[in-house]
Amino acid sequence: MPYYESVLIARQDLSNQQAEALAEKFAGVITNGGGKVAKTEYWGLKSLAYRIKKNRKGHYLQLTIDAPAATVQEMERQMRLNEDLLRHLTLRTDELDTEPSVMMQKPSRDDRPRRGGFERDDNFGGGFGGGFSDRGDA
Amino acid sequence: MGRRPFFRGRKSCPFSGEGAPKIDFRDTRLLGRYVSERGKIVPSRITTVSALKQRELAKAIKQARFLGLLPYVVK
Repeated sequence: MPYYESVLIARQDLSNQQAEALAEKFAGVITNGGGKVAKTEYWGLKSLAYRIKKNRKGHYLQLTIDAPAATVQEMERQMRLNEDLLRHLTLRTDELDTEPSVMMQKPSRDDRPRRGGFERDDNFGGGFGGGFSDRGDA
Repeated sequence: MGRRPFFRGRKSCPFSGEGAPKIDFRDTRLLGRYVSERGKIVPSRITTVSALKQRELAKAIKQARFLGLLPYVVK
């Protein structure tokens, strides 16, 4: 069976439990269809880079799946019908990644309210020069 | 560097070779370095990313944008 990763964004006014229940719901669809869910991650309530359906924030969830294509299609269909989901993206992957993803490693630093009071997302601040300052001097 | 004071040596692709980071649409901290302040993808001639990796990178940035992890435009 092919491997998939599915990232879901749920509405901001759901509670954590409701968001996690949503992940369980779709995991149930997979197991009913003869697939396996290798990993479920809850990334937390993160702020979106732009508004999606009038939401500024969203609960991010990730499912790592090993299931037949038809089952994944059925899950996607139900995701499209679900009004609590703002967006979802399912990608096929070459291998099943059971390690915690980057999102779990640094616990949502950009979502912590900052003391300085000014709002700046350092997600995409650095732009030019940030990452490639070590231009071949070695 | 007596002869050519501004020559900085050969640039190499940051995603090739050993210890290179994996391009992942979830890693906004990494992707953010290859995006301008306006939110645009920086050309590989500036970032020295190889053509193959630039295609991979561009795809990851677009996936991150779709999921609201990176902006399409910063006004």
